[in-house]
Amino acid sequence: MTKPPLSGIRIADFTWVWAGPYCTLQLAHLGAEVIRIETKTRPCVTRMLPPWPEGKFDSINKSGYFNQYNQGKKSLSLNFKHLEAKEIAWRLIKSADVVTNNFAAGVMDKMGFGYEAIRAVKPDIIMISLSGYGDSGPYREYVAYGPAQVPLSGLSALTGYEGWPPMHAGFSYADPNAGVHGAFAVMAALYHRAKTGEGQFIDMSQWECAMDLLAEGILEYTMNGREPKRAGNRDPQMAPHGIFKCLDLPEKIMDMTIDQWIAIVCADDAEWSGLARAIGRPELAGDARFHTLAARKQNEEALEAIVTEWTSTRRVADAVSALQAAGVAAGACADNKYLTEDPHLGARKYWVELNHPEVGVKRHCGIPWRMSATPCEVKAPAPLLGQHTDEVMTGLLGYKPAEVEALRKKGALD
Amino acid sequence: MAGALSDLKIIELGEMVSAPYCTKMFADMGADVVKIERPGAGDRARTRGPFPKDVAHPDKSGLFLYLNTNKRGVTLDVATRDGFEIFEKLVAGADILVHNVAPPEMDRVGLNFDRLHHINPALIMTSIVPYGLSGPYRDYRSEDLTLWCAGGVCVLNGGGPEHPELPPLKTFGHQAGYQGGVHAATATIAAAFARLLGEPGQHVEVSVQESIAAQLEMTFEYWPYMGMIATRLGQKPLQPVETMQCKDGYIYLCCIEEHQWRGFVEIMGSPEWADEEIFSDRLKRALNWDALKVFLEDWVSQQTVLDLYRKAQAKRVPFAPVSTMGDLLNSEHLQARGFFVDITQPVAGTHKYPGAPLKYHRTPWEIRIPAPTLGQHNAEIFGGRLGMTAARIDDLTRKGVI
Repeated sequence: MTKPPLSGIRIADFTWVWAGPYCTLQLAHLGAEVIRIETKTRPCVTRMLPPWPEGKFDSINKSGYFNQYNQGKKSLSLNFKHLEAKEIAWRLIKSADVVTNNFAAGVMDKMGFGYEAIRAVKPDIIMISLSGYGDSGPYREYVAYGPAQVPLSGLSALTGYEGWPPMHAGFSYADPNAGVHGAFAVMAALYHRAKTGEGQFIDMSQWECAMDLLAEGILEYTMNGREPKRAGNRDPQMAPHGIFKCLDLPEKIMDMTIDQWIAIVCADDAEWSGLARAIGRPELAGDARFHTLAARKQNEEALEAIVTEWTSTRRVADAVSALQAAGVAAGACADNKYLTEDPHLGARKYWVELNHPEVGVKRHCGIPWRMSATPCEVKAPAPLLGQHTDEVMTGLLGYKPAEVEALRKKGALD
Repeated sequence: MAGALSDLKIIELGEMVSAPYCTKMFADMGADVVKIERPGAGDRARTRGPFPKDVAHPDKSGLFLYLNTNKRGVTLDVATRDGFEIFEKLVAGADILVHNVAPPEMDRVGLNFDRLHHINPALIMTSIVPYGLSGPYRDYRSEDLTLWCAGGVCVLNGGGPEHPELPPLKTFGHQAGYQGGVHAATATIAAAFARLLGEPGQHVEVSVQESIAAQLEMTFEYWPYMGMIATRLGQKPLQPVETMQCKDGYIYLCCIEEHQWRGFVEIMGSPEWADEEIFSDRLKRALNWDALKVFLEDWVSQQTVLDLYRKAQAKRVPFAPVSTMGDLLNSEHLQARGFFVDITQPVAGTHKYPGAPLKYHRTPWEIRIPAPTLGQHNAEIFGGRLGMTAARIDDLTRKGVI
């Protein structure tokens, strides 16, 4: 009987919004029992964000955003205004291997669940704090929201069209990046604990973690004292290297015309010849304006115009097939509709479609790895708020049903 | 104290970013990583730079030097018969093999789990592949740009409603590689943990496309839940959440909660226009952004970045500077935390590099040795670890296998 790699590992999960939940999603994917500590008085932000199945907010259990990043987790709902709720949280922490949170530095201490306090009663606990600025330093208590971490990290200054102002990444990239690095770190700590019996505290600054993704920009500065110039989609060593217009979607979606694009890269001269053949203009391979990388870089605008002339009269899927057949790295600039319907992802059984009590069966993104000996699978959809309160209280923490009822009446369980 | 992962022996057959970043995460925590490169040219990252004084040199590429800290390097052509035999010997003594050889090349070389598992039943083999090891796109040619697009990111970024003619925009650098690498590291360490507790070795397959699609914020779900397409062209649902120019650089305005907007209005000296009904909540500020933008741009353009950043943070308003590289290197906060590290590599010299992604309080993250020069550890690994004679090493070097 195979079991996933983290079976038997329990996470007391205080995380919310995105970075922390993305961390514990990886752990849940790997088989850990992740128990979210939630509250109705201040539900997770993503429970109140779109998309919703009927297009409007009428339940804290229907957000596609929340339901994507909390698959396979449990929800215990507590109201910390009551001392009894703290006692319940303590019992959970004592039974857990790992405590996770992504509040600003100091918040867990104020709640009474700081690392030192936990370590005093459970010396081998592993605790990770994924804060915006880290647990030390003069800005440790600064507030960080997902979208602002991208410009803070330096990625925005490096991203953008040539000669234009800095741009964003288009999503709160530093959040999932922190989350997945955090999952790795938790397991490195579990590995260490399995060998030595020692737990530890892991201090993550989302800002620092994001800077590990832009070493090329940082080293341009530390090696040569220069700020790198923004270069759009181009690359100094490959041309063409860009995103080109294809035919719009034939149908309108919600009265909007949907534009479609293709990414194309020729890494060397042979691939450029392949592209020239694929677009029915083999003579371009030997054209002096384009026959070497240096020439293509020098005449890149003319080059891109030729590619666009071809792509702009084609559907993206047709253009991808033709270029791939010629050995050229090409792929759809996929939007969410394209991804949701991608036959490749379907053939790989990437999607998870479980029956959620309030939204029914919806397609979600699944696990990006496959393991041959310890296979991983999403066992349950994201939890309703408080869905597992009774199960956790009686099954795990040893409360009697009557005690649970009394605590609920009192308001400690909301 | 030894690193948390110092008992792990890893072989990396990696190019560019994904596999090298994956094994760097292990190496910086103490693992013993031997990196295999093609004889002659080596890892393509050696050509990428940046280079000190812009002089290209295979041992001076910033990208390579960053991604390959704490590894020892050998050159070996695994596409030759002799080369593959030596590769098998290295794998026989390893705990983990991480590679990002593309599937068609895997087939050509004969790189497959069953064959290596037979030699080393405890082996964890991690394949980081663009689109996975199955499905119709398995053998697609790819580069970082095409994968970042295939995962669904680029369509979310770029010109916006004001410039729909501009193409979707890639994020700087090699982000598909980094995300493939860190997701692979996560799955691989899980396999190592399971093995420590008695599970067998195994094959771990990681799709770069799937790793990216797994992190599209709420955008993926807009189609299954609402039949809506999320692109760079839509109006933002709330404002201000926008980059703006100050006197001396750019700042990112971020008022997501109402109290944050009120804080910002106070910082601006509570101007009369801020009381207008059309700006009275975050949704209205988004609907009337064209009007609001004019007022904000005018005021923000007279501020300095750091001053506005500090004033905002003092009121718990999460503004952030659009950091330049210089800002990062000079940040008092990052200096206090000791984020950047000096690394000396004899050929490239000493430079500051990004440091630990996380601080572990008990087990160290540390740079023990810099990235290897091409083939630097051939004698040490082929002679020392595998016991090959100097004559044999010379012979294979002449044949171009090493």
